Amino acid sequence: MSAFDFLPPFPPASSPVLVFGLLLLAGFAGGELAQRVRLPRITGYVVIGLVLGASGLGLVDTRITGEARMFVNLGLGIVLFELGRRLDFRWLWRDRWLAATALSECVLSFFFIYGALAYFGVEPLPATVAAAIGVATSPAVVMLVAQELRAEGQVTERALNLVAINSVVAFVLAAMLLSWLHHEYRAGWLTMILHPAYLLGASLLTGYLASGATIVLARAIGKHEERQLVMLLAMIVLAVGCAAALELSVMLTLLAFGVASRNLDRSHHLMQVDVSRVGQIFFVVLFVVTGALLDVRDLFAGGALALVYIAARFIGKSIGVLSLAHLSGIRAGSGGLLCLALTPMSGLAFEMMQRTTQVYPEFGSTLAPMVMSAVLLLELAGPIAVQFALRKAGEAQGEAK
Amino acid sequence: MTYDALEFKPSYPFSVGVELELQILNSRDYNLARDAADLLAVLQKTPHPGEVKPEITESMIELNSSVHYRYDTLAAELERIRDALVDAAGRLNLCIAGGGSHPFHAWTDRRIYPTERFRRILETYGYLAKQFTIFGQHVHIGCPDGDAALYLVHTLARYVPHFIALSASSPFQQGEDTSYHSSRLNTVSAFPLSGQAPFVQSWSEFVQYFNKMKGYAVVESMKDFYWDIRPKPEYGTVEIRVFDTPLTVERAALLAAYVQALARYLLHERPFAPTRDVYLLHNHNRFQACRYGSAGTLIDACTQRHVRIRDDVLATIDAVAHHARDIGAERALHRLASDVAGGREDAAWLREQYRSHGSLNDVARLQSALWMGTLKTADVATGNAS
Repeated sequence: MSAFDFLPPFPPASSPVLVFGLLLLAGFAGGELAQRVRLPRITGYVVIGLVLGASGLGLVDTRITGEARMFVNLGLGIVLFELGRRLDFRWLWRDRWLAATALSECVLSFFFIYGALAYFGVEPLPATVAAAIGVATSPAVVMLVAQELRAEGQVTERALNLVAINSVVAFVLAAMLLSWLHHEYRAGWLTMILHPAYLLGASLLTGYLASGATIVLARAIGKHEERQLVMLLAMIVLAVGCAAALELSVMLTLLAFGVASRNLDRSHHLMQVDVSRVGQIFFVVLFVVTGALLDVRDLFAGGALALVYIAARFIGKSIGVLSLAHLSGIRAGSGGLLCLALTPMSGLAFEMMQRTTQVYPEFGSTLAPMVMSAVLLLELAGPIAVQFALRKAGEAQGEAK
Repeated sequence: MTYDALEFKPSYPFSVGVELELQILNSRDYNLARDAADLLAVLQKTPHPGEVKPEITESMIELNSSVHYRYDTLAAELERIRDALVDAAGRLNLCIAGGGSHPFHAWTDRRIYPTERFRRILETYGYLAKQFTIFGQHVHIGCPDGDAALYLVHTLARYVPHFIALSASSPFQQGEDTSYHSSRLNTVSAFPLSGQAPFVQSWSEFVQYFNKMKGYAVVESMKDFYWDIRPKPEYGTVEIRVFDTPLTVERAALLAAYVQALARYLLHERPFAPTRDVYLLHNHNRFQACRYGSAGTLIDACTQRHVRIRDDVLATIDAVAHHARDIGAERALHRLASDVAGGREDAAWLREQYRSHGSLNDVARLQSALWMGTLKTADVATGNAS
C-alpha cells in the first residue's frame, strides 16, 4: 500500500466518453476552420478525421473508432430518422414525375456504374455490389449541409426526397446482393434467402414498430414540444440500440422509423420537434470518424478506377434527373443543381463493406480500395457540391434568389 | 405624375373585383415556405382564370379575380382559381392558406421577393417590410366618376368596423394569441402612409392634394398610400383594404357581395352625407372591431348612438336587401347574416382549433386544409367556419 494508490494509473485508461469528447472538440475545431474559408463544416470534420486517422497521424486507430462506434450510430440514426420524415408519399403521388425521376436516377446510376466497371474489367459480382452502393447518396451530407445553410425550397426538398428513395433502393439492392454473394461462396440456400430477408424484413419491422410506439406515446403526452423531444430522442436511441443488438442495418431501421412516423401519423400526434439540434454533437463525431476510417493509401490502389466510378455515377444520376426534371414542377436550371446535390456518397458504403468483409474477408478486400477511394474523394468534394447547389438555387437562408 | 395621369377612368358602376393575399406553407410543420417564385412558374404553365402575382415576401402570393357584375360568377371564378392554385401547390408539396396572419412564423426568417418595388419598400421601411407578411383581401368597386368614388370612400368609411369584424382572421401572430380578432391591422398601422384618405369631396380637390404630396416627395404614386379605403383612378374603382383574407374563398366572395350591395345602396340612395366626424371616430371604431370582432361597439357619427357591430351589420344587410337582389347576391347575404347572427367567425374558429389540438402547427395545418377544401370534418373542432 502506498500513499498514492488513490491515483489512477498513468496514462489513464481511455474510455468511450473521453474519446467522444476529444473527437468532438477536434471536429469542432476543423468545422470552425472550414467555416472561415466558406467551406461546409462537414468538410472540416472529415479533414480533421483524415489528419488524426490512418492516413495521417494515426492517433485515431481502429480501437478508438470502435469505441466511438455507438456515437457514430446515434448520429447516423438521427440523420436517417430526419431524412425519413422528409419522405412524403403523398407528394410522390401528386407529382408523379418526381417519383419517376427518383426511379430513373437510381436505375441509370446503377447501370452506368456497372457498365463502366465491367468495361474496365471488374468482375460481375464486385461490379454489381459497387453499383448498388453507388446508387445511394449520403443522407448525412445532404441533410446536414441543408441544415447548416438553413436551406429551404424546391431543390432542397426534392434532393432530400430523392436521397431518401435512392437510399432505400440501395439498401434493398445491397441486401439482395448478399444472396448472390452467399451463392458465390457456396453458402447453403437457406442462408442465401434468409440473410437478406432477415436484414430487410427485421430492419423495416423494427422501424415500423418504433414509429407505432412513438405515435402512441406522442398521443399520450399531448402537444408539449419539450416532452415530445425527450420521448422522441429516447425512441431513436432505443431503435438504434435494437438495430445494433439484432445486427440489423441501423440506417434502414431508422429510415423506416422516420418514413413511418411521417406517413402513418394521420392524426398528427407527433410534433415536428427538431431532434437534429441535439444530434449535432453526434454528427461531428460521425464525420471525424468517417475521415479517420478512410485511408489515403487506397487512392494508390484504387484511385484511377474510383474516378471512373465517380464519373459513371454522376453521369447516370444526371441523365436520370435531367431527362425528367423539366416535366415535374421545377424551374429551368434547377435540374442541374439537383444533380450536383446528389453527388455525396453514402456511409452505406461502410456498412455494406463491413458486412460483406465480415462474412467473406477476401471479397471485401478486392472491392474496398476502389469504393473507399471514391468515398474519400466524395467525402471531400460532396459537401462542397451540395453547398454550391443549394446556394446557387437561392435556397440558403439570407441569400437572395 | 401630371393631372392627366391621375385622371379617374370611369368604370362600370358597382362592378367588383377581388384581390386575395395568401400564405404559402410547407407541408412538414406548416410554417411559411419561400417558394413563391417556383409556384408562380408552375402556374404560368397551367391555364387558369384571373391572375396570380408575387407579393412583398417570398412566402406570399396574390390572387386576383377578373371584373364581375354578379355574385355567382365571382364566387365561381374564385373557386376555379383556388383549384388551380391548390393543384400547382400540390405538385410542389406546398399548402396554401387563407387567414390574415400566419400563426407562428418568425418575421426575421422572411425574405423579400426580388423585384425593384419590393426592394425599395424594404429599403424605406426596414423591418416593417418583413413584418408586412400579413394577408389581406382587397375589394374593388367600380365607380362612374371621381366624385362618386370620393363619396363612396367617405361613406364606406362608416362601415369599416363591419368589414374588419366580418373578415377578422388573425388572432395569432408570431406564436402568440394576440387577444385581437384582427391583429393584422395593427401591423398596417405602423406604416406612416396608412390611415384614411383626406376629407375632400371632389376629384379636382383630391388631385390637388395628391400633387401636393407628390411635390413634397412624400409619395410617387397612389400605391404608396396604405389607406383603409382609397380611390384607384387607373382602374376607376374604390378599393377597400381593411379585410383580413378570410379562411375560405367562399367567404371572400360573400364579403365582396356585401360591399357591392352596400356600395349600390350608398350611391343610389345617398342615405347620409359624408361627414368629417366619421374620421373623428374612425380609430375608436376600428379598434373595437379589431379587438372584439362583431361583439365590439361602434359609435355612429350621424346618430351618436353606440351600437353592437353585429347588430349594425344585420341592420345594414336588411337595408341593402333589394340591392343585393339586383346583383344576384340575395342568398349570399342571407348566409352572411346567419353566420353573423350565429357568431360563426374565422378568428373564433382558429382559436377553437388551437384549444382542441394544442399546437399552432395544427392551427396552420387546418387553416390550409380548410382553404384548399381538403378538410375532413372529423378533424375539426367545430365545423362552423365561414
